[in-house]
Amino acid sequence: MSDVQTLKDLKKLNEKYEMFNAFCEDGDLGDSKFLFSAKDNLTSSEYETCAGSKILGGYRPVFDATSIANLKQVGGKLVGKTNMDEFGFGTFSTNSAFGVPKNPFDRERSCGGSSGGSACAAAVLDDHLSIGVSTGGSICCPASFCGTYGIVPSYGRVSRYGLIDYGNSLDKIGLLSVDPAKLKEYLPVIAGKDPMDPTSCIQPELKLTGRKMTSVAVPKEAIEGISTDVKNTFLKALEDLKSMGIEVDYVDMPELKYAMPAYYVLATSEASTNLARYVGMRYGQQEGDLTQKFDDYFTSFRSQYFGDEAKRRILLGTYTRMEGFRDRYYAKALQVRMVVIDAYKKMFADHDAVLTPTMPFVSPKFSDISSMSPVESYKADFLTVPANLAGTPHLNCPCGYDGNGMPIGMQFVTDHWNEDQLVTMAMEWDKQFEVRKAEVKV
Amino acid sequence: MGHPVFNMDKEIVARVARAAHIKLSEEELEKYSKDLSDILDYFKVLDEAPDHEGAGVNPVEIADVLREDVPDQRIDSAELLKDMKTYDNYIRGPKLV
Repeated sequence: MSDVQTLKDLKKLNEKYEMFNAFCEDGDLGDSKFLFSAKDNLTSSEYETCAGSKILGGYRPVFDATSIANLKQVGGKLVGKTNMDEFGFGTFSTNSAFGVPKNPFDRERSCGGSSGGSACAAAVLDDHLSIGVSTGGSICCPASFCGTYGIVPSYGRVSRYGLIDYGNSLDKIGLLSVDPAKLKEYLPVIAGKDPMDPTSCIQPELKLTGRKMTSVAVPKEAIEGISTDVKNTFLKALEDLKSMGIEVDYVDMPELKYAMPAYYVLATSEASTNLARYVGMRYGQQEGDLTQKFDDYFTSFRSQYFGDEAKRRILLGTYTRMEGFRDRYYAKALQVRMVVIDAYKKMFADHDAVLTPTMPFVSPKFSDISSMSPVESYKADFLTVPANLAGTPHLNCPCGYDGNGMPIGMQFVTDHWNEDQLVTMAMEWDKQFEVRKAEVKV
Repeated sequence: MGHPVFNMDKEIVARVARAAHIKLSEEELEKYSKDLSDILDYFKVLDEAPDHEGAGVNPVEIADVLREDVPDQRIDSAELLKDMKTYDNYIRGPKLV
């Protein structure tokens, strides 16, 4: 399908899949060279930016996030802002105030979260590139559920200027596409030092040299407690990797079990401070009675406009930072992050990557998601969280489909700043694995 | 490591909610008390985790990048103010006292 046709079909496609919060309705391709979309927690001057939250309803930024500006600079047209869990709080993109994106392979199932709209757009639109953001798994999870490639660069590789923060020490901007060549072409465009984000200024240069992997480590802990379909597909993929000349070693990484609680402590602690700025002033919802005392005014906005999961995480993060509990939770979680980083570094001494399935099951039906408790939902991230906590780059490769045709993915994790081997892996894998395109009817 | 099992009773959740400027209904208090108890129970595994001498706030080392201050205005302040509630170019807010 041509880009012109894609633009014409956006409205109908969005009615069917609810992948966008806002999208291009003028149909004008202009002199752009390619189309892309971006998660709705990245600011852009031509659309509202709400990060999936009612509290930011009506917020129209006056500047572009660096990643968006860089893609526009090389001829990209931003066609829409993709739907997401409120502020990134979720695994299934069901926590958005602006509808729920539907899986392109089965609309009764989730796209994954929290960059669910981005994965949906990457899977549904032809020849498409989407910018996602990962804090604890929010690129690889939806990429796995929607059958696309998804790359999360090292923490600090891509400027976070213009990103609406969830967890500052965890947020990473990356890319999704069914075509790994797009990741290779556009990762260097969005990466690089940016004075507007000092954490991006310490990075070594990104060099994509085509260096291949020769060995991967598979933690035994990662193939326990996963569905039979995922396990069998993953084991088959391991055989395919061996036939590509890659050595596969099973290893023990007992430290991985500490990553989940440490991640949720850090993520919610940081989120609870970041979300303190939403008080009904300056941006988003501002229609309130200014004669109220400030405490009452702030509280009324936050109580009315934050969603259920946002409130839960604010409460949790506020609690884990409180005097008397801080050492047990927040301070300990910071130490555990170093323990997990050390565990990865140990593996990278002898292996190019750590490899696991991406998600423990294929995308669940919405009816099953609604009956999951918060802890059950958090536990679904146990394979994607460790690399996110460690800030190490990682990649989802589609590696098979279950009996219902639902995609299954595997996740490669490499050392800090080694995106080179991930991109090469995606390119090499794509030569021998046929990614299925979802059947999309307008 | 000897920490007692912590039960998030409603009184604590209400205290936390006040600190976070969120007003909860009785029903929400019940729900979040249970949810937070379950979540903190799951977090107990942290008590068994090994300690580490490092505890940086970032996953990679972030060196201080110092630069000279240079006056710069990338965004027109009128643009920034246009969607805000203002009075005489000041942002309006609720009363403090």
